[in-house]
Amino acid sequence: MSSFSWLSWWSPFIFKGFLMTLKMSAAGLTGGFVLGSLLALGDVYGGKITKAVVNAYVEFFRGSPLIVQLLMFYYGIPALTGYEWSAVTAGAITLMLNSAAYQKGYFKGAMESIPKDQLMAARSLGMSTRQIVLHIVLPQTYRIVIPAWSNEFVSLTKSTSALLIIGIMELTATAMTISALTFKPLQVYSVTAIIYFIWIYFALKIIEYIYERIRIPGLGETKTL
Amino acid sequence: MCASEIVLEGKKIGKKYGKLEVLRGISIRIKRGETKVIIGPSGSGKSTLLRILGLLEPPTKGTVIFKGMDVYASNKLNLNKIRSKIGFVFQQPSLFRHLTALDNVKLGLKVVRKMRDDEAKRKALEALRLVHMEEWIDHYPAQLSGGQQQRVAIARALAMDPDVLLMDEPTASLDIELTWEVIEVMEELAKKGITMLVVTHEIPFAKEVANEICFMSEGMIHECDIPENLLRNPKTPRAKAFLKRLIGEFGGR
Amino acid sequence: MISLSDFLFLLRGLPVTVSISFLAFAIGFILGIPLTFLRLYTPKYSANVAEAYVKLFLGIPVLVFMLFFYFGLGKYVAIFRSPFLSAVAALGFRSGAYQSQIFKTAMNSIPRDQLLAAKALGMNKLQTLRYIILPQAFIVALPGLGSEIALLIKDSSYSFILGVLDLTMHADILRRAHKLFFEPYLIAAFLYIALTFPVANYLDKLGSKLNKKYALR
Repeated sequence: MSSFSWLSWWSPFIFKGFLMTLKMSAAGLTGGFVLGSLLALGDVYGGKITKAVVNAYVEFFRGSPLIVQLLMFYYGIPALTGYEWSAVTAGAITLMLNSAAYQKGYFKGAMESIPKDQLMAARSLGMSTRQIVLHIVLPQTYRIVIPAWSNEFVSLTKSTSALLIIGIMELTATAMTISALTFKPLQVYSVTAIIYFIWIYFALKIIEYIYERIRIPGLGETKTL
Repeated sequence: MCASEIVLEGKKIGKKYGKLEVLRGISIRIKRGETKVIIGPSGSGKSTLLRILGLLEPPTKGTVIFKGMDVYASNKLNLNKIRSKIGFVFQQPSLFRHLTALDNVKLGLKVVRKMRDDEAKRKALEALRLVHMEEWIDHYPAQLSGGQQQRVAIARALAMDPDVLLMDEPTASLDIELTWEVIEVMEELAKKGITMLVVTHEIPFAKEVANEICFMSEGMIHECDIPENLLRNPKTPRAKAFLKRLIGEFGGR
Repeated sequence: MISLSDFLFLLRGLPVTVSISFLAFAIGFILGIPLTFLRLYTPKYSANVAEAYVKLFLGIPVLVFMLFFYFGLGKYVAIFRSPFLSAVAALGFRSGAYQSQIFKTAMNSIPRDQLLAAKALGMNKLQTLRYIILPQAFIVALPGLGSEIALLIKDSSYSFILGVLDLTMHADILRRAHKLFFEPYLIAAFLYIALTFPVANYLDKLGSKLNKKYALR
């Protein structure tokens, strides 16, 4: 019974599951990107209270498991607020909140590596804080951060497998279903593993390519002269 | 234009960091078209004074007056707007490292002055020509020498058409052989009549172009005079001692 | 609201969570050290095998390994009939890959001039490793190991999907039995934080203290 004939029948389902994995990773990464940037700005340039709030947020989302967070938001929010939401919405929001906590760390590191004298120089040109963030801090942060940030891409993509706990039919959930129906767990999970593996290393190559394309000579190196 | 118009004035400026008193009541005036040089030992508060005059940090006492208006009198004043009219060149070139030389100079024009791109480019090229960097406009800071970076930094400040240019030891971070190219540019600017306040140890520069040199030490200005007087016959003992050491180093007369 | 007895019920999940994480870390340590040696000090062939092992666990979700072990290998290998051991194995094998990454980075961070100095003193490769590289690398690796333990504690929650009675499972039981939709999870989250925070922080502090003491890095 080692034939892979099940694969042709089930491949549309696997593909659908894979697309769901992509969709949820994309949502988590982009939402986490925006929120993570704000958290990092708050931690690096904010006052005492802002810093404390940011750190409490980060400690909560980095200190507890994603699975618990998913269950807590998926079941908890409707119970607390009466607002019913779909598993996909709850899952996407939770992934964003979670990823933001991790991305914040990477952004913060990159922001702190930008020499302070540039901020003073921008100030002397009459730029407002908002303009300095927009034109000086973020463009450099986002370029410097890419290699470190790719870790979060990998880890979040893998984490989307946790979404099966709230019933989202992403790749791993799809595999579980197919495995139960075909009684071929070894084959099904192997194929699943291969899909994750290929996608993650392929995407890493793309990220590396983008990094090389938008790299600016000398940016992110500590030497100033 | 009135020849003796005072562009920038520091009035009884005091600055404390915690308990440390860095500036003790300094008054200084910069007239339009003049080049004023501040000399003095390190740790005397020169950089702090310049940053306060450039509105990059507030004084703890006294105030700054820019073209007749007290900038700290009302908090309705837009400090950023005034900062954009006061050029500043730092010890370190401090270029924005993700931008080319040209884009470094253009940024303030576009973002602060809201100029159109082509207009900003024309203006930026003009400023870069003044510092003889027109052939390097597409280079990133990391691809330029320290002296070239500092010249771009000067162009970046000049492009904003500042009423006054403050320079904080602009050659201090450079190797000796890169110093002259920056000094040369500074001399040209002074001769063009650009209003400047320069902190520097380059005595030949001060001698050549300064209208007045002020000696500063321990948070106070001890004396100001025309170069011949201050460099040859300083009145205060501190200035005497300082110049003896400094000019001794240069082997000057 | 959650009652005291509910809270005590939750606590009963803690030992399972802790033992999964602890066992997985131990397995990871036992695997991680030789993997690092294979990658750094052996011929291309064996180094590549070790490298591939690490890559495999970096690129595939740990949950897929758990499901593979439990549902797939369970039929053939006795230990994988236990959901608990399947979870421990998947997390432990992955931790071997992760810990190897941590050790490798730490060992590479030792400045080259020290290796040259050791060579000048007439030390052979093994002596250099034993007396120069490892003692320093271990200190440099401490913060990384701290976050790896924290990661294991958090990811042990995946075992809940296999039906292991860990902390997350206990919280989920409270939801189903008592219709508590929020509090059990929130308290479970704080219990996880109570486990991860001290470990990660302690090793991070210890690492930077020792780093400073010996002026490493």
